[in-house]
Amino acid sequence: MSAALPSPTLAVQRGILGAVLLVACWEALARGLHLPSYVLPAVSEILSGIWTQRAALGSAAAYTLLEALSGYALGCVIGIVLAVAITILPVLRGAILPAATAINSVPVVGYSPLILLWFGIGVASKMVMVAIAVSFTVFLSMLAGLDRVDRRAVDLLRSFGASRLAILWRLRLPTALPLLLAGMRVSTVRSVIVAIVTEMLGAYGGLGWVIYQAVLKIDFVQVWSAIFVASAISLAFFGVVGFLERKILFWT
Amino acid sequence: MTSGAAASLGGGRTAAARLPDPVRKAARLLLGLAVIAVVWEGAVQLFGIRPVYLPRLSTILMSVAATPQAYINGFLRTLAETLLGFVAGGAFGILTGIAFFRFRALKDMVFPIFVVSQTIPVIAFGALVVLWFGNTLLAKAVIAFYLTFFPVTVNTLLGLEMVDPRQVALMRSFGASNRQLLLRLQLPTALPQIFVALRLASSLSLVGAIVGEWFGDTTGIGVLLLQAMFTENMVAIWAALLAAALLGTSFYAVVAAAERRLIFWSAEQ
Amino acid sequence: MPSLSRRHTLAALSAAALAMGSFATATPSAAEDLVKASVRLKWLPQAQFAGFYVGVAKGYYKAEGIDLTINPGGPNILGENLVATGADTFAQSGGTDSVFAARDKGLPIVSIGVAHQITPFIFVARKDGPVKTIQDFKGKTVTTWFTGANHVLTGMLTKEGVKPDEVNIQPQQVSVTPFVDGNVDVITATYYNEFYTIQSRMPKDNLKTFVSEDYGITFPRDTLIVAEKTIKENPELIRKFLRATLKGWKDAFADPKGAVDTVMAAAPTLDRAQQEFMLAEIKRLMLAGNAAKNGMYWIDPASIKAAHDFFLKYGVISKPVDIAAAYDSSFLESIPLADRLP
Repeated sequence: MSAALPSPTLAVQRGILGAVLLVACWEALARGLHLPSYVLPAVSEILSGIWTQRAALGSAAAYTLLEALSGYALGCVIGIVLAVAITILPVLRGAILPAATAINSVPVVGYSPLILLWFGIGVASKMVMVAIAVSFTVFLSMLAGLDRVDRRAVDLLRSFGASRLAILWRLRLPTALPLLLAGMRVSTVRSVIVAIVTEMLGAYGGLGWVIYQAVLKIDFVQVWSAIFVASAISLAFFGVVGFLERKILFWT
Repeated sequence: MTSGAAASLGGGRTAAARLPDPVRKAARLLLGLAVIAVVWEGAVQLFGIRPVYLPRLSTILMSVAATPQAYINGFLRTLAETLLGFVAGGAFGILTGIAFFRFRALKDMVFPIFVVSQTIPVIAFGALVVLWFGNTLLAKAVIAFYLTFFPVTVNTLLGLEMVDPRQVALMRSFGASNRQLLLRLQLPTALPQIFVALRLASSLSLVGAIVGEWFGDTTGIGVLLLQAMFTENMVAIWAALLAAALLGTSFYAVVAAAERRLIFWSAEQ
Repeated sequence: MPSLSRRHTLAALSAAALAMGSFATATPSAAEDLVKASVRLKWLPQAQFAGFYVGVAKGYYKAEGIDLTINPGGPNILGENLVATGADTFAQSGGTDSVFAARDKGLPIVSIGVAHQITPFIFVARKDGPVKTIQDFKGKTVTTWFTGANHVLTGMLTKEGVKPDEVNIQPQQVSVTPFVDGNVDVITATYYNEFYTIQSRMPKDNLKTFVSEDYGITFPRDTLIVAEKTIKENPELIRKFLRATLKGWKDAFADPKGAVDTVMAAAPTLDRAQQEFMLAEIKRLMLAGNAAKNGMYWIDPASIKAAHDFFLKYGVISKPVDIAAAYDSSFLESIPLADRLP
């Protein structure tokens, strides 16, 4: 197992092979067994469905992405601010950490009924849900990153008369960056999923709304099309943040 | 470890420090809950918060006491779904982690598919799962399983890759088979990492169970939540949330406790 | 040995988990050979489905040899889909629209009864508001459900010469608060649910209602459906199910308080007063039109044909659907009329 790793291109080739095999099996299953579309449509049907419905799916995807991105930004800000607050004023740790843990002991999706009743079925409720989901992860990652600073480095800087803020800016934040970015990367996919889950309980638009409508119209090709598109935008979002993460870590 | 223990004993020997550990922990927990309860009651009354935003804790508890059977049945049902999904997802995750570790080609081919599978919104999947499996415990457990296995696979793989190659070489020099290598060295080394994922998975399987129940189930915490939402019964929503929190934290605590026992044993080696 | 104890602990935990799981699923099996069947409701448990709950509670299904599970519906659930895949045996599904749409898409389901003989919902506006007639809908905000009610709305608008795109039609929220607060001009309300909630917040004489029947549109809803497969393989099951269901409804209407008790046992967080109101309204809807003389779940050929043509016109179905294949009254008619009337 500790043998030399195969070249990256071999891994990529195998990955593509795996995907191709999966699609082939799916297609064979759907067509070969003549499965009705409400059980499992063929991949080819779904892909052509995506093409036909590209306008509707595109605007739905944009709608969902808007909710996900704004909730994500809000969640990151909240998580970072709370973690920094605890680091500057350690006395807050006893208050914030238990409160955050308590709030997060309920699975985030459980809050959707509450948030939908408070904020209505517009974009705001989805943003709030995504922010809740993202903030806790980012908060914990940031806190872990800030905490793992070497005590001796802190003491050293303090002996030079550095203020708390200066230590924060020059030492803790850069040290916390890798863990923070990892947490932010992991939260990307969650934000799209939480947005869609909330949309399916009540929305004016978006991919979750498309899925909801499609189930009731018995248009399962549309259901799968929306699922494919949702998957694609999650991966894209994940990829972009991962790319930025590598770039930032490379520079610092 | 030892420095931590010394730090917690701190300077003087207070009376509290002489109490046995689990009693102290339980007391702290109860105290914390009592504080939250008092603050909740007090804040709602003090600030005159309307029930539509935050009902009084006493109102919520009384409504649960009025119809306890629904909440007990719901709790147990959701617990069962979560447990099944968690065990299945955990087992599958560990097995695939091991398989990916042993057969690199398999990992290269299948792991990307696993990653993509996690981008599929589970609730959309839920609509399809219920169609395929009907309104059964199995359907909910499948959804819970779906959310659970991936982090376990990832962390099993991660943990196995942390094994020191020199130890592997050493065991091999004693004629250890692949199986012995796995069971005696690799898995125990990976165990801490696996448990990190299992702790995460415990909350994820609860999410799966609750979302699964939104697809027309008869009992369950998710069912109570949905019913409360559509009758705009704010008190009932909060009651269901509290039940979910209770289930989530206890499940997590059990997994964390199991982790402490097993890692302790493992470290004994 | 550490690895042994680890395995033991893990094995014990897994065994416990599986045991708990199977314990939860284990139903106390009756000694007799009961046929397992399920009925999928179109929404969450409420008095709208009292007949089924009373039937189970009083053992009518058991007496017919059926071990019936009542599966609630909810958002994202369509009875037609579940019956078509065999996930559920029966369903009290959306309505004539969903049945026609399903047949249009080739789903092998058949309707064996129609519960609500007339349109069960109305459009409500404030009397002191800007909307006095259908023409006034132009430019206003109207919320409706896109699960069928939207077609009735479009039908009514078109009949009165208003183009649907001139009206701001929005999906309706869970809550009636936007209407009560004046943010929404016209709201869609079922007689038995939203209308009750609205009246509890606003005086009835301040409400103006628009009834689709006044505009010549009838939209029968709450259709009982079953899979073609069941009809072929087990027609007797359908008759038994219908007999027990009708008995359940008769009892529910005869003893409304007891019926509400039974429903509340299934969903304790419901509001009792609303459920009693709901049951009374459901009785009215189920005995409206020709059901008064032909019994509950009557499939009225004229209404069905009118509905069919309506849906064809508004694109709910892409081509004419064979009504005889989609609706089968034979099971209903095999039950004596006296048993079908309350």
